[in-house]
Amino acid sequence: MKKKIILSLFFLFLLFTLGAIMTMFYILRVTTRLDTLITLHQVEILRQDLVINVQTVQSHLYTLGTSFGKELDVIVENVATLDNAVQKCSGCHHSPEITEKIKTIKDLTEQYKEALSTFITTTAGKERVERLQIVAANIGTMILTKTQEMALIANQRLNEKTIAAIRDVSSSRIILIVTLLLCFFIALAIAASLTRGVTEPVSELLKATRKIKTGELGYTTSYVGKDEFKELLESFNDMSITLNENNKKIIQHLVRLSGLYRITLSFHAITNVEDIYREVSYGIAELVDIEQGGVMLLDKDNELFTHRSPAFGLAPEQIARIKIPRENFIDICRSANRRPLMVNDNAASLPLGEIDRGLNVKNIMLIWIRQKGELIGAIRAANKKSGDFSEEDARILGILANNISVALENAKLYENLRKQMAELKETQEQLVQAAKLAAIGELASNIAHEINNPLTSILGYSELIKEEKDINNIMRDIEVIEKESLRARDIVHQLLEFSRKRPLEIKEIRINDIMSEVLALTAVPLKDSSIKISKSYEDVPVIEGDANQLKQVFLNIINNAIFAMQDGGSLGIATRRGRDDNIYIEISDTGKGIPQEILQRIFEPFFTTKQEKGTGLGLSISYKIIQSHNGRIDVESEEGRGTKFTVVLPVGVK
Amino acid sequence: MFNEMKFILNFILLFFVLLKPLEVFAEEEILLGLIPEQNIFKQMDRYKPLAAYLSEKAGVNVRLTILSRYGDIVERFISRGLDGAFFDSLTGMMAITRLGVEPAARHTNPDGKATVRSYIFVRADSKINSVKDMKGKKVAFVDRATATGYLFAIAFLRENGVSDIDRYFNEYYFTGSHDSAIYAVLDNRADIGSAQDTIFNMLASRDITIKKELRVIAQSEELPETTLCLRKGIPSQIKKRLTGILLGMNEDPAGREILKKFGALKFVEAEVKDFNPVFSLARRAQINIREYKGTR
Repeated sequence: MKKKIILSLFFLFLLFTLGAIMTMFYILRVTTRLDTLITLHQVEILRQDLVINVQTVQSHLYTLGTSFGKELDVIVENVATLDNAVQKCSGCHHSPEITEKIKTIKDLTEQYKEALSTFITTTAGKERVERLQIVAANIGTMILTKTQEMALIANQRLNEKTIAAIRDVSSSRIILIVTLLLCFFIALAIAASLTRGVTEPVSELLKATRKIKTGELGYTTSYVGKDEFKELLESFNDMSITLNENNKKIIQHLVRLSGLYRITLSFHAITNVEDIYREVSYGIAELVDIEQGGVMLLDKDNELFTHRSPAFGLAPEQIARIKIPRENFIDICRSANRRPLMVNDNAASLPLGEIDRGLNVKNIMLIWIRQKGELIGAIRAANKKSGDFSEEDARILGILANNISVALENAKLYENLRKQMAELKETQEQLVQAAKLAAIGELASNIAHEINNPLTSILGYSELIKEEKDINNIMRDIEVIEKESLRARDIVHQLLEFSRKRPLEIKEIRINDIMSEVLALTAVPLKDSSIKISKSYEDVPVIEGDANQLKQVFLNIINNAIFAMQDGGSLGIATRRGRDDNIYIEISDTGKGIPQEILQRIFEPFFTTKQEKGTGLGLSISYKIIQSHNGRIDVESEEGRGTKFTVVLPVGVK
Repeated sequence: MFNEMKFILNFILLFFVLLKPLEVFAEEEILLGLIPEQNIFKQMDRYKPLAAYLSEKAGVNVRLTILSRYGDIVERFISRGLDGAFFDSLTGMMAITRLGVEPAARHTNPDGKATVRSYIFVRADSKINSVKDMKGKKVAFVDRATATGYLFAIAFLRENGVSDIDRYFNEYYFTGSHDSAIYAVLDNRADIGSAQDTIFNMLASRDITIKKELRVIAQSEELPETTLCLRKGIPSQIKKRLTGILLGMNEDPAGREILKKFGALKFVEAEVKDFNPVFSLARRAQINIREYKGTR
């Protein structure tokens, strides 16, 4: 096309140059002719001027001195004009014949001037003056005659030149029109050819680009030209095909990545290794389209790399056969330079020991799984359905191998964590029980007193019965004994109930009732102390929680308050509903308060200020219990003035 | 108050009156006459560059007009309303005497002299050597009003015993120009001629036949060269300006170029006393200048 354009432009250039040269030639020829004509006409005008001037001078000559005569200045002026006309004539280029005549006229003009001057200035007799006048007039007449002769020649030439010029103009016009039309049509044809040559492939290209734009990758044009556009469109076709192939590859890759993502995503939720083996087996089967796939891992006990079950395309007995000694497995990895091992031909020749015996392996790929740099296994993929294993397969499975490594590590960690959590839970339960027993121990002395009273009554009334005869009195004493016994039994029952190790029992509870029951448990020490109790219970809603555990919390806090007010004080118990819909239980004392430096540590396990009287577990356990109820414990304390514990519990805890 | 206004009005009036002559010359032109010393067309061609130079330098349009004959030059000076004219010595003298014109400047010839002489000449092959030989011959004078073309010849003839030229010569006539008189003798249209030496010498330098075929048999004393005389009424500043331009021409390259073409070295100041030789010549010719009209 480039060659065609250059040739066309060159041809156009030649054509227009030729046209321009022809045009210029003919214009020049015509204008030269016209110039000649104009010059001849100018000469004719000059000649006519000359004639008119001579005639004017002649008329002045005859009228000079008469009443019709002009002023001498006018005559002088006319003669000057006449002289100029002759000078102009002689200044032009003429044929020798004309030049000779002009020379004659010029000489005659000089003579005429001389004769005129003589005639005008001479003062003599009339006869002489008339003779001078005739002489001058004769010269004038001769000038006119010569001028007329010259005019005849000039007119003849003018006619010839005019005819030639008209003929030239006519022929030039036809030639110019033909040239212009020829140039125009040839240029038009070249332009049309060039335009068609450019627009056709461009249209093809445009159509193809639109097809590709609309997603029709791989579309190819059917341009059949033999120019650069053909190369362009062939390149475009190649590009389109390449784009299509790359697009397919990208889609394939995306599908694989998507599959890979799906598989690896599942690893986050998998907590046991069997599930990992299953996901990996079926995942690689999907990713690389194989007949057999699964994970081989090191069995440290037997120093063997064994295939793990479940696996894709392998029966349990086949899986059981796939085992390679550790050293052999590492040697294979080393022989592959620690890169993925791909054997697409003669897979049976691999030194895999008994690995593939009877498994009908056609081609195989091993992707090494490492953990902290140590080879721990491999992804085993065998018998690719569509052709050989590729680097792309290796890359995808390589990513999967890394994720498997992490997933296995996670599964292992999760297993360890699960075990540790179970142990921790057990320990915590033991701790809670210990704390509870400690609290009971603390209560025991107080409760002993409470039990002692009915026991004293029972013993007293027993002694009285022994001595009593009257059955009514005996019966009355027995009733008292029974009543006191029941009272003692209730106390013991409550104590047992509290100390019993039980799981969290969530049920609807009324916090105000809980507080009353706790206060009942602390009635004895309170009675013996000089502590005043002030209660302020609002009508708070029913919440859900473990009543027994919450009692333990409040008992702990109240016991601490009583301990803090050994010299007496005031214990405030208040319940209210906050604006945030939580229930606030405030237990305040006017005891010695908690120093700021230890206020941050009071919820730490085994932290106590009671020396041998405390375990350091009470508040720690309380904190965890309230946390398990989705609540919190706030503490405000000022040394010497008292402490306020605020337990915040949400309404509707499940 | 009234007197003050009257004074101011008079002052303004006086200003315009004084300004008037200047305006006339500024708006109109200066018309200078030329005497037909030679072929009137050549004369006009000779003086045109000079007039153009004066126009350019003076800022006034200087126009030329040819005067056909010497004789009626004084009348024509008046009738044409000329502002001045380039007079020869006799017409100049007549104009000074009768019109009161004032000589302004005259040119010097290539020989450095601002004077001319009159020649009386015959053909070289002529047998005329003295006044006696002239009897019955045909004479070509220039004009009655020329010193070099007539006056000297008359004085010469009178001093040689010829008092009546009508009788002494077969025919005499006036060619009107010096060159015509010269060519009349050269062409045998006259036997004797009288003309100005500068014209004679100029033509002789161009036409070798004049030098070869004509012979000068008498010449006059020095007479003033053609002089520009200006009429009395011209404002003195205009007169001074024109005179100044002419006198300074030889110091201006353009002026020198024009002087060269004109056939002069420079212009010199002219005065009335320069015309004294003409008076003397007129006396010798027994002509009363004050009454002489230059015509028959």
